Amino acid sequence: MNNRRIQIRVAAVLALTLVVHLTVLSRVRIDDVRPDALLLVAVIAGLVAGPDRGAVVGFAAGALGDLFLQTPFGLSALVYCLVGFAVGSLQAGILRAAWWIPVTTALGASIAGTVLYALVGAMVGQSGFVSARLLVVALLVGAMNAVLAPAAVRLLEWSFPR
Amino acid sequence: MAVYRRPARTRFTLLLLVLTSITLLTLDYRGAGSGAIATVKNGARDAFAPVQRTSDKVFEPVGSFFGGIVHYGDLKAENDRLRQENADLRGDVASSDDARRQLQELQDSLKLEGTEDVPRVDARVVSTSPSNFAFTVEIDRGTNAGVAVGMPVRTGAGLVGRIVTASRNRAVVQLLTDKDFSVGIKLSTSGDIGVANGRGSLRSLDVDLIDPATVVEKDEKVVTSGLQQSQFPPGIPVGTVKSSTSRPGALQQDVAIEPYVDLRRLTFLTVLQWSPK
Repeated sequence: MNNRRIQIRVAAVLALTLVVHLTVLSRVRIDDVRPDALLLVAVIAGLVAGPDRGAVVGFAAGALGDLFLQTPFGLSALVYCLVGFAVGSLQAGILRAAWWIPVTTALGASIAGTVLYALVGAMVGQSGFVSARLLVVALLVGAMNAVLAPAAVRLLEWSFPR
Repeated sequence: MAVYRRPARTRFTLLLLVLTSITLLTLDYRGAGSGAIATVKNGARDAFAPVQRTSDKVFEPVGSFFGGIVHYGDLKAENDRLRQENADLRGDVASSDDARRQLQELQDSLKLEGTEDVPRVDARVVSTSPSNFAFTVEIDRGTNAGVAVGMPVRTGAGLVGRIVTASRNRAVVQLLTDKDFSVGIKLSTSGDIGVANGRGSLRSLDVDLIDPATVVEKDEKVVTSGLQQSQFPPGIPVGTVKSSTSRPGALQQDVAIEPYVDLRRLTFLTVLQWSPK
């Protein structure tokens, strides 16, 4: 499959994710915490397609999300591209495709990504991003993203066929 | 075991993306390009509005169907409670009409400012915050309807927050529980004034600057103070005192208040077209 087709499919997946993230998932809240589908796409893109494409998809997903936030533009893009890259680098050794690998990866990487987001946010001057509640938020995002992980794997394997 | 070697191109891609995001961050932070990024953000929000409307129509019935099944018992109980409350309120309304007339007469004679005659825009909440680190809601009115950044937002019950972003057909309301939110308040019984700050939880706000000697009662009503240079007009109900403790030697009391408005279930809001004098 050529690059052009891949680009179109990735764009379609990103558009779908953004719509789902801003509409349906806004209604899903546990203890006032919602899942982060855009972070999930970055994680699974790294897992499915490696560090290079993980970083690019993470950057694009973050930048799309930033359009709808009051935080400085580029904050999510920076963090999600690092997350996509990190997951892609770590998965390189794993070849077995067990069902639990994406789920646990989504859990761990979403927790790490949320904490990283708060830390970088605090660094660029966002008050109150790092607090005692951060851990609760990160764990809940991780758990909800883990549940959504199998669906994200389906979508991204369609975008990046082997 | 084969050692994985990262190709040079990968590191180059990452470097490029990181540098791009840091550049964007810096540009936005400094407000360079006369708010070009803000314009793009507003455009995206307006462009997304129709998608949101469609999706609401599709998913609303699904949500309320499941909600209806799970919460049927709760709803019946709530219905009874509301009926009782309605009856009580009808009585209150009768007596408050007289009180309002008296207040108006006094305000007129003393030339005090009230919020009765401030023009207002009614709006519907279309979505909650896409971020877990901000407490905001988006409403379906924007600059076209006369909404502008900084305007106070309330419901019949009390203060909700203030407008932080306004595009043509959409605006974002920062809720009073957001970490960046603060409002000057007045305790209704003692008349002592302070500043209430959001603390990132939908349930309570912390109040600063309350004198340790002031007697603060539980359930005491708290309203906006509207002092000079205040971001909010005076007299908007904020909440009730949930707890107050004064530690020995401290310069202020630790007072927590609970907002009147149920911030998890916002549907209709009123934007007051008011700006500080």
